[in-house]
Amino acid sequence: MAVIEARALVKRYGALVAVDGVSFSVESGEVFGMLGPNGAGKTTTMEMLEGLRAPDAGSATVLGSDVVRDARAIKARIGVQLQATALPPLTKVREAIDLFAALFPTARSTDELLREFDLVEKAGTYATDLSGGQMQRLSIALALVNDPEVVFLDEPTTGLDPQARLNIWDVIEGVRQRGKTVVLTTHNMEEAERLCARVAVIDHGRIVALDTPARLIGAHAPGTTIEFDAPHGVDVQALATIPAVDKVAVDGRVTVSTRAPERVLRDLLDPDAHWLNRDDSGAQAAIRDLRVRQGTLEDVFIALTGRSLRT
Amino acid sequence: MKAFRALTRNTVRSSLRNRVALFFTLGLAFLFMVIFGELFGGNNFSIGYAVADNDRSAASQRLVAALSAVPHVTVRVEPGSTALDDLRNNHVDVVLVIPPGFGTAFDNPASGTVVLHPIQASQTSASASVGDQVLAQVLNALESKGAPTGVVLGAPTTSAVNNITAIDYFLPAMLAYIILQSGINYVAIGLADLRARKVLRRLRATPLRPAQILGAQIVGGALTVVLQMIVLIVVGVTLFQAKTYGSWLVAAVPMVLGTAAFVGIGFLLTSAARTSESARGLASFVAFPMMFLSGIFFPITTLPSWLQTAVHVLPLTWLTDALHRVMNDGVGLSDIGLDCLVLAGWGVLTFAVATWRFRWD
Repeated sequence: MAVIEARALVKRYGALVAVDGVSFSVESGEVFGMLGPNGAGKTTTMEMLEGLRAPDAGSATVLGSDVVRDARAIKARIGVQLQATALPPLTKVREAIDLFAALFPTARSTDELLREFDLVEKAGTYATDLSGGQMQRLSIALALVNDPEVVFLDEPTTGLDPQARLNIWDVIEGVRQRGKTVVLTTHNMEEAERLCARVAVIDHGRIVALDTPARLIGAHAPGTTIEFDAPHGVDVQALATIPAVDKVAVDGRVTVSTRAPERVLRDLLDPDAHWLNRDDSGAQAAIRDLRVRQGTLEDVFIALTGRSLRT
Repeated sequence: MKAFRALTRNTVRSSLRNRVALFFTLGLAFLFMVIFGELFGGNNFSIGYAVADNDRSAASQRLVAALSAVPHVTVRVEPGSTALDDLRNNHVDVVLVIPPGFGTAFDNPASGTVVLHPIQASQTSASASVGDQVLAQVLNALESKGAPTGVVLGAPTTSAVNNITAIDYFLPAMLAYIILQSGINYVAIGLADLRARKVLRRLRATPLRPAQILGAQIVGGALTVVLQMIVLIVVGVTLFQAKTYGSWLVAAVPMVLGTAAFVGIGFLLTSAARTSESARGLASFVAFPMMFLSGIFFPITTLPSWLQTAVHVLPLTWLTDALHRVMNDGVGLSDIGLDCLVLAGWGVLTFAVATWRFRWD
């Protein structure tokens, strides 16, 4: 059963079309990811589903209710974590949970949430004094205070150190295990691959692909990816004619996709390679920092948009 | 309702935890009371007379000269209205109005009798009662030089003004200061900060209605002002020993209306400012000139006359006037009706414009 149904959502800011006809549905109990670079329209799409922004065109339902007409009813049944921390100033952890609990018709117990999110020892600390990871645990706890059926997490791990990120991944995994439907945005492909049942790849306000991570990789970044730096650049067309090369993309680094890496690598390492640009001195050209790996969602994104997620 | 109460309580609590804000409101109010109380409240052992000489005869001038010659007596000759102001502000102990005809009666008793009524403040000071005796002796001395005069020293009359000390004057002034600073700053800066930090957006993702979200911030700001006023009054009356005259119930009316007006101005500034920095700047820009122009630190009668007209547009002028008149002069509600009306007008106007112009982002 679909708990979220978005139909041709459009949001414009003046001349800028932030969301340009986005349609998708989210099934009950799944973790649904929106993957894309900053400014792709992920947050705006999410805020339309949360009832925070009215779409300029299109419509959406969450838990069977229309996001514009029944915004208040929806807000009681969803949990929201915004990109910014967004807590009132000079408020302690326990007070923040108590406050948000009072804003909903029904709420979970504060102590239970403190325990679940490992914040018991920090209950009397000002939220502003928490570490990045603790702060993010608090904001997810606040999103769950009304025991919602659907949880929206906007870039839950952006800006966290790797250890805190792993911890938040566990937290989100725990939320999913409790049977919640989770919608999250991220520009971290590893996060999307690890957490999401399905991923919508979003660029310039449009969904360019939507499927499970495995199938996206299978379709758009099959086989093996070989990455390297070419100090003086490469002749992309010549490179693409090397036997067994499926696809070439240049975005700072050169990315070559292939299903026969052993063959391609031999050509790539040829010191007299004709596709490699040389400087005027005619010095020996070489490729640097070579890496060979299996395809990821990052490659999917590059394959679909010609750009890296991080730019 | 439960949600609104919780949000309001959180607003008040975080406002009171903000030590910097607390210093610039309640802290500075106490500091001003200490400084100005010391500056203007020094004890002296002299008897001060303000003489309004409406006769300007040789006899009246002799009376003034004779009075000035008495040790520990200071005399200022000035118009009657200034003399009463001086009495109110404790600059003199006794006001003596020499009526026209004083000289004629003094020199020629047959022409009729003139009665001199020294005016004292309703709270008679020791100096004032000594002052009556001094005056009687001076008149006697003048009489003994010649024939009996037609001047009779009447019983002292009590002025409608109360003889107040510097602290009595500064308690209502500092209440007005608190309402100005807290009303504007807690709401203008608080609300602008919540908007900038996306707290308002986060709250809008809950089932709260937009009016509840804004209302809780505004009511929370107003409650913070009221709490600070209560602290100021209690400490002012007990620790600083400030005397107040009017009814607290009457004083509460301009306090509440003033709070509404200044919270409204704060709300309006949030609506006018795009960022929390510009809200901060606007709040200072509005509060500081008003603070110095509206009779908090010195009476507006000391301002040039064109400026006096201008400051009557400012709500703080009316609030300060109303609080002074109730708490120092003890007047009733009907005497501050216009003040209350102007404050209520400011409240309604600012809330209407602020609500109309408010932006959530």
